[in-house]
Amino acid sequence: MNPRTEELACLYLLDQLDASERAAFESQMLADPQLAALVSELESTLSRRVRSLPQVEAPADLLGRIESRIDRLADAKFSIAGRRHPLPWAYRWGIAALVAGAVGILALQGIRNGQAVDGRSFAIFVGLDPSRSTSAELPLEKGAPDADARFIQLASMAERFWERPEARPVKSGSSGTGGRGYALFDPASNQGFIAVQQLPAIEAGRLYHLWILNTASGEAREAGVLPVGVSHGGLYFFSVAPSAGPAPGGIDFFVTSEEAGAAASKRPSGEVVLGEQRAF
Amino acid sequence: MPPQADPADVVEESHLLARVGGGDREAFRLIYARFSAPLFSLALRIVGDRGEAEEMMQDAFVKIWRNAASYDARKSRPFTWAVTIMRRTCFDHLRKRRRIPVTTPLAAEAGAASGLQEGEDLRATVEAAEDSGHLRRALADLPTGQRGALELALFSDKTHAEIASSLGQPIGTVKSWIRRGLVDLHNTLSSQSP
Repeated sequence: MNPRTEELACLYLLDQLDASERAAFESQMLADPQLAALVSELESTLSRRVRSLPQVEAPADLLGRIESRIDRLADAKFSIAGRRHPLPWAYRWGIAALVAGAVGILALQGIRNGQAVDGRSFAIFVGLDPSRSTSAELPLEKGAPDADARFIQLASMAERFWERPEARPVKSGSSGTGGRGYALFDPASNQGFIAVQQLPAIEAGRLYHLWILNTASGEAREAGVLPVGVSHGGLYFFSVAPSAGPAPGGIDFFVTSEEAGAAASKRPSGEVVLGEQRAF
Repeated sequence: MPPQADPADVVEESHLLARVGGGDREAFRLIYARFSAPLFSLALRIVGDRGEAEEMMQDAFVKIWRNAASYDARKSRPFTWAVTIMRRTCFDHLRKRRRIPVTTPLAAEAGAASGLQEGEDLRATVEAAEDSGHLRRALADLPTGQRGALELALFSDKTHAEIASSLGQPIGTVKSWIRRGLVDLHNTLSSQSP
């Protein structure tokens, strides 16, 4: 095997190739048994080096913590799509929204398989209360190039803000009544979390819809239906299709109460129950 | 767990990962049982802090859970695939914190390795110690430049250009050292195998 091929094999195993180089090398490896054998031998040597490190057992409770986190992420991820909280059959508009949400989830799964997202390395936190919305940008790891890594970062941040309100970068107002909460959104991967508290009990025949607003253009896009009919609060994952237009100058979120049986609408029309009050 | 994966282990671990990809929590626990100690040791070696290593374990195993369905046995062994996930997780973390990774001298590793946990299977312990001994000797036999470049490439978040800069060598030389170091290490270990 020539030195250049050996060097490429080493770079591949040490994860030093970029995505296109890696894909090209893998194609070559799959077509060349000799190269595959070389990679396998060098891989074995690297594995032995890792396994020869002084072995330290992980804490006994770590597996439980990992599984709890997987459960929480799964709950958050699927709750807004309604997979864990199926809504009544009679709510045809709700079902339509759930289908739209499921499509969003599927699209998200598609871009998670190692595909890169654009280079923006911040998430937007929006504090929501009846009088105003206040936002702040929060840094994300620069080395989180794919939607999966960003999802984990977002989820960790959203959970932390949920459990420790004092850690939130923007404080909610304490006056007045009505819903409280926050949204955490990654504009690069078009996914985020919405936390809601103190929403009024929803009236029969209505659903709470989450909207994302481009504050520059005034365009509002639906991001899903909140399954809050029972608990009146919680932390939920959502995703939206990438915006066709240029990146918005600002983003805001709000939740409206919409009639469940109404014809599907692209625009909010009901009362704002979370977020800055608006008229439509 | 013997330090050098048996082909049967590789096949079994591939099947386990396939089950994990299908959402099988029991298979995930079995993968965790096999990989947690070496991956935790790797995380500890890279980030140098036990609490942060635990965070890395959580992130990496969540990624393993979520990405197991995309694992391709033709491209890598399950353990190497998991190592890549752990290294990326740790390096992302280090770049975020802009911390200097802690390196452990080989001599210190030898001391720590001799104190393997009580209650561990004796045969596996002996095999691990023997293999670590072989590996340390093989590493020690490498020229200093090759050994240093290879260890930095494996356990630090430095790019090859950064390794070249820190070693004061041209990048071509460093790439050659890494290649020669890994190939020579493999050849030495192969010649020592019974």
